Amino acid sequence: MIETYELAVIGAGPGGMEATISAAGFGVRTALIDQYPQPGGQYFMQIPPSFKVDYETKTEREGRELVNQVLRVPSLKVFNCLVWGLFHEDNGGWLVALYGENAPKYIRAKNLILSTGSYDSPVAFPGWTLPGVVTSGGSLTLLKNQRVAPGKRALISGTGPLLFSVAAHLIEAGVEVVAVCEANHILPRGIKHAFTMLRQWDRLTEGAKYMKTILGAKTPYKIGWSIVEARGKEAVEQAVISKLDKTGKPIPGKEKVYDVDLVVSGFSLTPNTGLARMIDCEMTYHPEKGGWIPVRDFEFQSSIPGVYIVGDGAGVGGAENARLEGKIAGATVAKLTGHLPLNREKVIREEIQPDLYQQQSFGDLLSDLFTPSAGLVSLLKDDTIICRCEEITLGEIKEAIRNGARSIGEVKMLTRTGMGNCQGRMCEHTVAAIVAYELADEGMTREKVGYYSVRPPLHPLPQSFLADAVPEED
Amino acid sequence: MFRIKKSSDMLPAIKRGKPVNLTVDGKSIEAYQGETVAAAMLAAGIHTFHKSHKHKQPRSLYCGMGICYECLVTINGVHAQRACITMVEDGMQIETCKELEL
Repeated sequence: MIETYELAVIGAGPGGMEATISAAGFGVRTALIDQYPQPGGQYFMQIPPSFKVDYETKTEREGRELVNQVLRVPSLKVFNCLVWGLFHEDNGGWLVALYGENAPKYIRAKNLILSTGSYDSPVAFPGWTLPGVVTSGGSLTLLKNQRVAPGKRALISGTGPLLFSVAAHLIEAGVEVVAVCEANHILPRGIKHAFTMLRQWDRLTEGAKYMKTILGAKTPYKIGWSIVEARGKEAVEQAVISKLDKTGKPIPGKEKVYDVDLVVSGFSLTPNTGLARMIDCEMTYHPEKGGWIPVRDFEFQSSIPGVYIVGDGAGVGGAENARLEGKIAGATVAKLTGHLPLNREKVIREEIQPDLYQQQSFGDLLSDLFTPSAGLVSLLKDDTIICRCEEITLGEIKEAIRNGARSIGEVKMLTRTGMGNCQGRMCEHTVAAIVAYELADEGMTREKVGYYSVRPPLHPLPQSFLADAVPEED
Repeated sequence: MFRIKKSSDMLPAIKRGKPVNLTVDGKSIEAYQGETVAAAMLAAGIHTFHKSHKHKQPRSLYCGMGICYECLVTINGVHAQRACITMVEDGMQIETCKELEL
C-alpha cells in the first residue's frame, strides 16, 4: 500500500525545512525527503551527532534551531534517501520513487515543493581532474562539518564571496593560503552596489570577519586572475595562475606558479534542477542566476500546476532567500489544500515580501559582480578532459562540432559527454560554453546550445534494486 | 591533509566520536565515529580513491557532496560507493582503485 500525502517536499535545506514547517504547521499532510542522514542541507549541515563541540558558531546555532523546529513539526520524514524519479499519474498527483535503506519504495503526493539547492559550477581547466583539486563547497564541508583540512598549502581560484569564506576557514585551520584569485574584474563596478551592501549588516560583519583573517595572514587577493592549470603526477603539486583580460581570457606571459597540494575551485554556483528537468518544467536561461532555471510564477509555482520550486534550485539566491521562498510556497500549498484561508495566506506573503525584495536585490548585486565569464573556456587545451566520467576531451568535443553538433544533446550523442555516473552535472557547464565559444561566429549562444535532458533514475542505482522497483497495484 | 586540532573563532575545537576500526587496502587507518570515509582517508594522507576507466588516472574527492562520483571506493565488497557521503562504521573495509569484476 502506497501512502498518499498532500505535499512532498524534496530537499531538507533552508528552503525545504521552512516549506515543511510552514505547510505541515498549517496541517498539510506533508512528507519531507532528503539524501543526507540529517536535515540541514549544505548551508545548515549539522555537525555529526557523535562529535562534541565547545561552542557553536552563529550559523551553526541558527541551523540547529531550524533543524529542531522541522523535526518537531508533524510530518513524514525520510532521510538518507534519494528521490530517483517523479512520475505524473492520471489523477494529477505524483508517484515519488525513493531509494533508501529505511525508506518506503514509493509515496504519492498531490503537490510537490522542490528545494534541491545548488552546487559549485564545475569549471574545467587543464589538470582539474587531479586529486587535490576540490570545489569550494567540498572544502567547506570538510572544514566545517568534519574538521579536516583538505591540504596544507592552497591556492583558491574562482569568483564570488564564497572564496573569502573558504580562504578564512582554511587559514584558521592552519592551512597556508598562497593566493585568492577572483576571476572577475569587480572593481570599480562594485562601488555602485554600496547602498545595497549597507542594508546587509549580517553579511557585512561576516565578510569583515573573513577579511580580518585573510589580511592578518597577509594572503594576496588578486582581482582579475584565475587558475589556468593544475600540475602534478599523482596529485596536485603546482598551480599556475594568469592575469585575465576584460573578456576573461588569460593574458600570455602574465603567469605565476605556486607549489601547492590543494587547489580550491569556486566559480559561483549552479542550480540543481535535475528533478525539474525530469518532469519537463519549462526552463529559462539566466547566467546571472547560475544558468538554466525553472520558470516560476509569483507563488513559486513552476509551469506544471502543483509543482513549486524554491531556493537555489530555482536560481541561486542564498540560504536566507531560500528560507523566505520556502515559507511562501508552504503557505501557498496550505491555501490550495484548504488548510489556510485565502486572506491569511495573502497576509503571510505580504509580510515576507519586503525581506524577500531585500534578498533579491542582494542577489542581483552578486550576479552583477560574480557571474563567471565565458572567456574561461580559452583556458582549455585539446587534451583537457571535459567530461570527467567518460573522459571526453576538448579535442573530441570540437570534432563533434565540426561534424555538425549544434546542441549539447548532439554533442552527448556523438561523444558520450554527460553519460557517465554524474549524469552530466560536472561537464554541462563547460560543454555548453565550448559549443557557444566555437560557434560564436554563427551567433551560437549558451541558450541555443540547450541543456542535458534528465531521465529517471536521477542518480545511478543498483540494478538489483531497480529490478524490484515496479510499484504494486493498489 | 590533516585533522584540525587547534580551536579558532570560525572552527571551534570539537571532540570526535569513538575510534572505529577501518582498513583501507588492508591497512588500518585512524577514524572516528561521525567522520565520512573520505574525511578519514584524506586525513590519513590517501588521495587516490579510484582510477578513471579509460586512462587509469588517479581521481579523488572533488565536489564533496555526492554528485560528481569521483570519490568512488569499494566498501565491504560493494563497488562504487561515494566516500564523501558514507559515514565510517566499525570494521569497515575499504578498497581503492578496484576494478568491477563482471
